[in-house]
Amino acid sequence: MEQVFEGTPQAEIRLEGRKLVRGDVTNDWGSQLLWEIRRNGEVVATVPARANNSYEHTDTTPGQYEVVLQMFKYEGYAKDPAGNFTKSKMIEVSNKVGYTVG
Amino acid sequence: MFHVGHEKVPMCSGHGPTRRSFLQAGSAGLAALSLPTWMSLESQGAVNLADQKIRNCITIFLVGSPGQVDTWDMKPEAPAQIRGKFTPIDTNVPGIQICEHFPQMARMMDKVALIRSLHHKTGASHENGQRWMMTGHEFNADSMKPHSGSVISKVFGNRGTLPASIVLPGKIGNTGAGPLHGQTAAHLGSAHEPFVLGADPAKSDFKVVDLAPPAGQTEFRLNARRQLLGQIDEVQRKAETEPEAGRDTAYARAFNLLTSPEAKQAFDLTQETPKQQDRYGRNTLGQSCLMARRLVERGCRYVTINHFDTVFNLSCWDMHADGGGLNNTYADYERLLCPQFDWAFTALIEDLEYRGLLKDTVVCVLSEMGRTPTINPRGGRDHHTTAWTNFLCGGSIKGGQAIGSTDKTGSVPQNNPIEPPQVLASIYHAMGIDLETTMMPGPGNRPIRLVEAEPIDQLFG
Repeated sequence: MEQVFEGTPQAEIRLEGRKLVRGDVTNDWGSQLLWEIRRNGEVVATVPARANNSYEHTDTTPGQYEVVLQMFKYEGYAKDPAGNFTKSKMIEVSNKVGYTVG
Repeated sequence: MFHVGHEKVPMCSGHGPTRRSFLQAGSAGLAALSLPTWMSLESQGAVNLADQKIRNCITIFLVGSPGQVDTWDMKPEAPAQIRGKFTPIDTNVPGIQICEHFPQMARMMDKVALIRSLHHKTGASHENGQRWMMTGHEFNADSMKPHSGSVISKVFGNRGTLPASIVLPGKIGNTGAGPLHGQTAAHLGSAHEPFVLGADPAKSDFKVVDLAPPAGQTEFRLNARRQLLGQIDEVQRKAETEPEAGRDTAYARAFNLLTSPEAKQAFDLTQETPKQQDRYGRNTLGQSCLMARRLVERGCRYVTINHFDTVFNLSCWDMHADGGGLNNTYADYERLLCPQFDWAFTALIEDLEYRGLLKDTVVCVLSEMGRTPTINPRGGRDHHTTAWTNFLCGGSIKGGQAIGSTDKTGSVPQNNPIEPPQVLASIYHAMGIDLETTMMPGPGNRPIRLVEAEPIDQLFG
């Protein structure tokens, strides 16, 4: 039987200074959970978020940073020739927070 | 003492005939000792099951087989084509590292005993491995061997209304090379067939098909039906010549499940808090693990969770990267399989421990085989039977250790090679079974050992 993932995971994230803190994920699918960090709109890091509820991104490159939690949504194993999933994907599961590095 | 052939066999104080004494007695003696004789001996105290502390078992079977080098036996010093894509991380046991995608498990390695030198010598099909690891035997259609849960059902019977052995969420289906997966009761009979859930407990409309009365079927009608079934059973009982036949039936078992509030409650995950369901993961494996905890808590002795029922056309551990129906890759491991397993397994262990059940529940994580140490040209790994890693924890298992090791590429055991029957023997031993005195009926109802191997000593400290 192929797995069906129902509902939508949701978590609240916040900033404590430069430290990112997340609450528990509700409707947690148990798949990969990542912090996605963008600087000036470009993804600069994706960091595993499951092991710990907090993370501090140490990059001090100046810019406008925006962070969101993402979780993998499985919708099939199919992949393109480059090995990327064609249907399954990471989706955003939290609010976004931002900060500026000077 | 009693005699088998000309051999004196000690049989008092819970010390029945030993395997050695059976072997010394020879086949003529064995043939003379029928199951009724054995049961009679048991009733006389020669086989004292009451003295044995019986534990539960939950087995998570990773269908498809994870690669040992990518998971629990990493080789970071090996060339890139062997060590693969993932990085090892430290665990809470100095000297033991596991894959970075098992961060929760790394924090509880002190509870887990890895067996890194598993291997078998038969062909590299999924089914061969399933038969080995589900039964402790290799066999063909003419000599079927019972699933370990059926063995437990036969030896210890039910506690309460739940079946002794339950398979979640479904039996293994097509894995490529035939129908013999080792998940039947074989000659032990239908009364000891594992009860198969047959539904996905992660789905919001989940119902246990066999537990829900058909539409319009009232309790009264069910009881009338039971009486009818009872009459059929009586006829059947008279017709059967085997002494064991008719004592229990699939009908009676199904009826108990159908009508028992206790059984219905055991399968009802809505009685768990949303937070608890989240902690296990809202997916098939996670909710199966949660259900397994509920089942052993309520009397089921042996739960088997199949993580996938096939290897085709879905994300599973069978990482061939073939571009077709077996196109699992590192991406599946990283995004789905490892996180899902890590989350569910550790939730189960934490929960069992919190409820005081872990000391009485052996948790086993098994697979059919390992995967080739060298990554194939497509970026996957293929079947490999000469080395893999499985693990046990809970019950009397001594955690925080890695038993056996492999060579520098993870190809073959370097020391302490372990074969599947030893794992089954260890599971039975960890459940509190004395393998020297506890027998099951074999061909011709002769009592035979549950498995022809000894437990792995190191697992028990």
